[in-house]
Amino acid sequence: MTTYSDHLPSLDHQPYQHLFKPGFVHRRLYIDEDIFQQELLYLYGRTWLYIAHESEIANPNDFITRRVGGRPLIISRHATGSIHAFFNRCTHRGAIVCREPRGNTKGFICGYHAWTFNITGECTSVPRRQGYGKSFNLAQASLQPVARLESYRGFIFASYSKDVPSLTEHLGAAARLIDQWLDRGEKEPVVVQNGAMPFLVNANWKTIYDNAGDGYHPPFSHESMLKVFSNRYGDVDMNYYGSDFDKSPMYSKNLGNGHTFLDQRPEMHKLSAWKRQHVMPGYEVMENALIEKYGEARALSMLNASTGSGMNLNIFPNLLIIGNQIQMPEPLAANKTQLTWFATSREGVPEEINAIRMRMQEDFPSFGEVDDSANFEACQEGMASIPEMAWIDIRRHQDTKVGALDPADQLWREPMSSDLHMRTYWQRWQALMNTGATRTLVEAGVA
Amino acid sequence: MKSEAKTKTASFDLAFYDRMAAVLNAWKHLGEIPLDKIPPHGMMEEITRLLYLESRLIDQRRLREWLDLFAADGAYWIPADVDYCDPRRTIAWEFNDRRRLEERVERLETGQAYSQIPPTRTVHLLSNIEGMLADDGLLHVLCNFHIPAQRGQDHQARSGWCGYIFRKENKRWKIVLKRVNLFDADQPQSNLSFTL
Repeated sequence: MTTYSDHLPSLDHQPYQHLFKPGFVHRRLYIDEDIFQQELLYLYGRTWLYIAHESEIANPNDFITRRVGGRPLIISRHATGSIHAFFNRCTHRGAIVCREPRGNTKGFICGYHAWTFNITGECTSVPRRQGYGKSFNLAQASLQPVARLESYRGFIFASYSKDVPSLTEHLGAAARLIDQWLDRGEKEPVVVQNGAMPFLVNANWKTIYDNAGDGYHPPFSHESMLKVFSNRYGDVDMNYYGSDFDKSPMYSKNLGNGHTFLDQRPEMHKLSAWKRQHVMPGYEVMENALIEKYGEARALSMLNASTGSGMNLNIFPNLLIIGNQIQMPEPLAANKTQLTWFATSREGVPEEINAIRMRMQEDFPSFGEVDDSANFEACQEGMASIPEMAWIDIRRHQDTKVGALDPADQLWREPMSSDLHMRTYWQRWQALMNTGATRTLVEAGVA
Repeated sequence: MKSEAKTKTASFDLAFYDRMAAVLNAWKHLGEIPLDKIPPHGMMEEITRLLYLESRLIDQRRLREWLDLFAADGAYWIPADVDYCDPRRTIAWEFNDRRRLEERVERLETGQAYSQIPPTRTVHLLSNIEGMLADDGLLHVLCNFHIPAQRGQDHQARSGWCGYIFRKENKRWKIVLKRVNLFDADQPQSNLSFTL
């Protein structure tokens, strides 16, 4: 399939070419502070970024503040329902205007000189305005909105550059998978108002991104978890990683534009995902309560839809949909990333189901993610400290010739343990970075 | 399979969550402990010794002995918020019943729990220990904690307060609830795979 980068003019400015060779990427991409700063400009500054879910600002005058791609944002909802996103930086002296994580307000007052802005970011007053003379224009003092803002089924995306295609074009084949993730069970609306686990990881954001599509690591990184679960409960969730899982119907897929997908549903949802679900606090009593209220068939159908989705949908560069959670990796430094796991619930389902969803979403983070994080940090330390060893290996299934187009959607798929994900997003990374570097030079009048 | 799991465990049904909501509400608004709720001196001495024993067992990573301090329906809870949010609708860093707590200890014992290789060393320091008699023979205990923690080259401290509920079983106090309230629970947390 074509991607929108194919439509961009060909650019000969390729400052990163020497950091790639077939099947390998250079450690500098993970450890170099200059490259990190360039990523914030050229990559995060010039593509669609996931910034929030609409349910986080469900009511008129709701707002949240959040850093996305390094930039502090205010994301708000106007009384008419319209959604707005603007930089949380006073147009006057640069102060962070809103210093609360969330709330409901008619406007924002900068703590420094009380410049005041409404919920959509428009400047409504500047104290002692006459001191700026007659030419002063209030509208020009408004907080700066993001260049582009679009939603897809509740997921709000922004771009800091106007020079991006439509969100639909950007999402491409990933949109249909977002649909599948949302439309489970009885399609009750997904709500992202259930708190979050913000993990601080001392590793580059791409080390975390690598792992989001790494179907090779689970039986090894998570051996402690899998061992405990299978010893206690037999053939439960993720036990299918015990065998040669490249022969299983699970697969890894290239969705285009750097997006990828790992599909565990063929194993996890083969029979009853609930019956195969690792027990959580309340497993038995909630199951019984629901059966009593709704009968066995309906209860089981609701419970099957409450489990993890079996989907790992990776939307480059900062939206990772995993199980029932939404993850945002936020780059803090070349060697520091905040990985926030947002919990989700469903509006209108029985209280029992949402309580189960909470306890279920605490399961993997404390039994599995902790070991992932430890491995990310071990990777960062190894990459950063040994100049004699420069290359990172992303060759898996590159030469086995087992990849093929999926007849259903004509997308390229490879076995579960493939490094397809990494090879895919690194191409996108190079396209964005080369284009971003060139355009920035052009715009600055240098090239 | 699941039905054969031997462990008796806190029910985590809707009634349990109602009780949790009531406890949170009481702790959130607690001012001076009413005179008629103040435990007898000997009881507080007993509980303080138990808290110090718990600290020692955790710091020495004697987690099987630590588990024995919990009641069969005991729960261990580390919220991810600082707003006393309803756990029915809010995710926590951990909210374990006895069964999941045992699984947690078993995981650390496999020798493949990479987040604890090497293990985190801790020193539990407790202060501001207060007790309050509650209904049904339960005892609520609040204390502040400061836990310097070191793993590899990483050295940092975790701080906050703990809310306990104890019940006397066969003349021994057992932990019915341990709620570990990190004062920065809603902020980015690094490796929390050790025992708080």
